[in-house]
Amino acid sequence: MKRYPFVLVLCTVTLAACGAGRQRPPALAGAGGGNGTGAGSGDRLGSPRHTQMLDSGPDVQTLREDSASGQDFSLSDPSGEGGPLADIHFEYDRSVLTDEGRATLEKHALWMQSHREAKVTVEGHCDERGTTEYNLALGEQRARAAHEYLLSLGVADARLRTVSYGKERLLDSTGTEQARAKNRRAHFAVSR
Amino acid sequence: MTRPERPSRPSSGRLLSAGSALTLALLTGPVSAQAPDVIVIGGEAPRFAIPACVPRKPDQATIDACGTVQTVLRNDLEFEGLFQFVPESLLASIPAQNPDAPNFTDWKGIGAKYLVVTRAELSGSDLNVEVRVFFVDSGQGILAKRYSGKADNPRIFAHQASDDIMTLTQYRGVARTRIAFSSDRDAKDRKGVKELYIADYDGFNARQVTVNGSLNILPTWSPDGRSLAYVSYRQDRTPMIFLAHIFEGKSVANLTGEKGNSQAFAPSFSPDGKRIAYASNRSGNLDIWVANADGSSPRRLTSGASQDTAPCWSPTGQEIAFTSDRTGSPQIYLMDADGLNVRRLTTVGGWNDAPAWNPSKQYSEIAYTARLEAGGFDIAVIDLATRQVRQLTQGRGSCEYPSWAPNGRHLVFSCDRNRKWEITVSDRIGTALRTLSTGPGNNVQPDWGP
Repeated sequence: MKRYPFVLVLCTVTLAACGAGRQRPPALAGAGGGNGTGAGSGDRLGSPRHTQMLDSGPDVQTLREDSASGQDFSLSDPSGEGGPLADIHFEYDRSVLTDEGRATLEKHALWMQSHREAKVTVEGHCDERGTTEYNLALGEQRARAAHEYLLSLGVADARLRTVSYGKERLLDSTGTEQARAKNRRAHFAVSR
Repeated sequence: MTRPERPSRPSSGRLLSAGSALTLALLTGPVSAQAPDVIVIGGEAPRFAIPACVPRKPDQATIDACGTVQTVLRNDLEFEGLFQFVPESLLASIPAQNPDAPNFTDWKGIGAKYLVVTRAELSGSDLNVEVRVFFVDSGQGILAKRYSGKADNPRIFAHQASDDIMTLTQYRGVARTRIAFSSDRDAKDRKGVKELYIADYDGFNARQVTVNGSLNILPTWSPDGRSLAYVSYRQDRTPMIFLAHIFEGKSVANLTGEKGNSQAFAPSFSPDGKRIAYASNRSGNLDIWVANADGSSPRRLTSGASQDTAPCWSPTGQEIAFTSDRTGSPQIYLMDADGLNVRRLTTVGGWNDAPAWNPSKQYSEIAYTARLEAGGFDIAVIDLATRQVRQLTQGRGSCEYPSWAPNGRHLVFSCDRNRKWEITVSDRIGTALRTLSTGPGNNVQPDWGP
C-alpha cells in the first residue's frame, strides 16, 4: 500500500514511555479457579457461556423493560423530523448563524410567543464528512448558537434545550452536496 | 528483546478456569522436558505447517468441526503477522501419517519449522479438540493441549488454541479479543437509530448488546472486558453516558450525573479501570472531565471557550490525549491526567481528531483520524518521540475512529466505501488492511476490547 509519511517539526514536548495499555490485558484466566455456572467469573475463556447469556440473557430483557417506561423514541414520530419550526442551515464546519438562519429564528421566536405552552429542543446536526466526535462538538455549538439567538429574542431559557446529534442522524445520507447542505442544520423539536 | 506480556507457562491442566465452558487439559507424553519452550520471533518468520485436522470419528459433524478448527486456527495465527505457512499444495504432498507420531523427516523436507497437529471429536453436544505443536528439527513437542466444551461454536476452540500458541512468543495473541461497534443494521426505517454490537476480533459471531431502539454510540470497553461505556440518547433524547454490564444484562443510566441541559460524550476508561474520562458541556461548553469509574466525584480538567472532546488515556494512566478546537481547527493535544501541562500534538492538517494511544509498552505512538488530503479522512499514526506521522489508509474513502488491539500490533477503524461504513482492521504499519464481515448496515466507531 502506498503511504505518504512526512516528518513534523519537533515541538518541545517530551512524553513518558508507554505502560500497560489503555485496554490492559486481564489477568490470565484460571487464576480464580472458579467452578461453575455462575455468571460473574472474570475469565476470558468463558466465551461460549457468554455467548449464550448475551443472546438470550437478561441484557435484552433488562433493556426492554426499561423501554416500556416510555423513555425511548416515540413510535408515532419515528424520525423526529417535521414540526412547525423550519430547520436553519450552516456552512461546512461552521456554527455561525447565517442571515437566513437569523431571519428564520426570528420567526420561530414569534411563533413561540404565540404558543406559550410549547417547549423546544434545539438539535444540532452535521453532514457526514467530519469526524464523529468533533461533529458532536460542532453540533453542540450549532444548537447553542441557535439557542442563544432565541434567548436574545426574548424566549425564556426554561422553554429551550439543546442536544447535539453530530453526524449520527443524517436527514439525507445520499452524500451529494445538496444532501450535505441539508444535513448541516439546527432542528427544532417542539413538545409541550 | 523484552518479553513484556508473556504469561508463565502452565504447570498443570488448570491453566483454564474450570468455570469456563471450554475446558482444557494438558496432554502428557509428547512434551519433552528439554523441548524449546519458545517460538523465536525476529529474523526470518518461523514457518508453520498446519495440516488438515484429523477427525477421531468418521461422522460428518466431527469432520466439519475438525475442519473449522484447523481453518480458523490457521487464520488466527496468520493474522498475528509473525509466521509463515507451508502452502496447501506442499502440505498435500505429505502422505497421511499417524497424527500422534508424525514423520518429521517429511515435514522438514517441505521446509516446516513447526508442525501443528489438530484432532477433534464430536460427542453429543460436546466437542473435544487436541492441538499439538512440534519443533520439526528435533521432533520435540512444545505444546500439547486438549480442549473440551460445547460444540456450538468450534471457532472458539481455535481462538483459544491460537492464543495458547502465542504464549510461546513474546506477544499476547488477539484471537479471543472482541470488537464493540455501533450499527444501524437493525434501525430499519428509523432515522438516528443505532444499537451497539460486539463481534469476535475476526468479525464473526456478531451479537447485539443494546436493544433500546434509540441512538447508542461511542462504545468503549472497560479494561476487564465485561462492560461497555457508551453514549445513549434513550433518556429524554439527551446524550448521556451509560454503562452496560453486557454479560449480566444490566445497565447504568447517566453514569456521570448530567443534569438539566448538560450532555456527556466520548467515555474512556483509565488503564486501571478506576476512572473514566469524558466530554461534558456541564460548564457551558464541551470540556474534558474525569470521574471515578462509577461516575462519582466528577472533576473538570479543561476550561475556556473551546470545544474539548475525545479524551484517551496514555498506557500509564498519567496523561490524556484529547481533541480541541482552541486554535480554530480540531487538533490533538496532550495533558497530564490532572489537567495540567497542556501541549499541542498535531500540527499538520486542518482536522485531526479521535486520538487512540497505543497500549503496548513497545510502541510510543498515537493513532488518530486526520484530514490529510482534500475531502476525505484517513487513519494516521504519530510517533511520540520523533513526531513522524505515518498514514495508514489511503484511497479507501473516508476512514476514521481508530482503536488499538490490546497488544498494540493491530488497529481497527471504520471506512466508508461505496456509501457503506465497514469495520476495517490493519496492522500498525498499514500493510495489511482487511474489511471485517460483521453484518449488514453501517458499522462504525469500533473499539477493540481485551
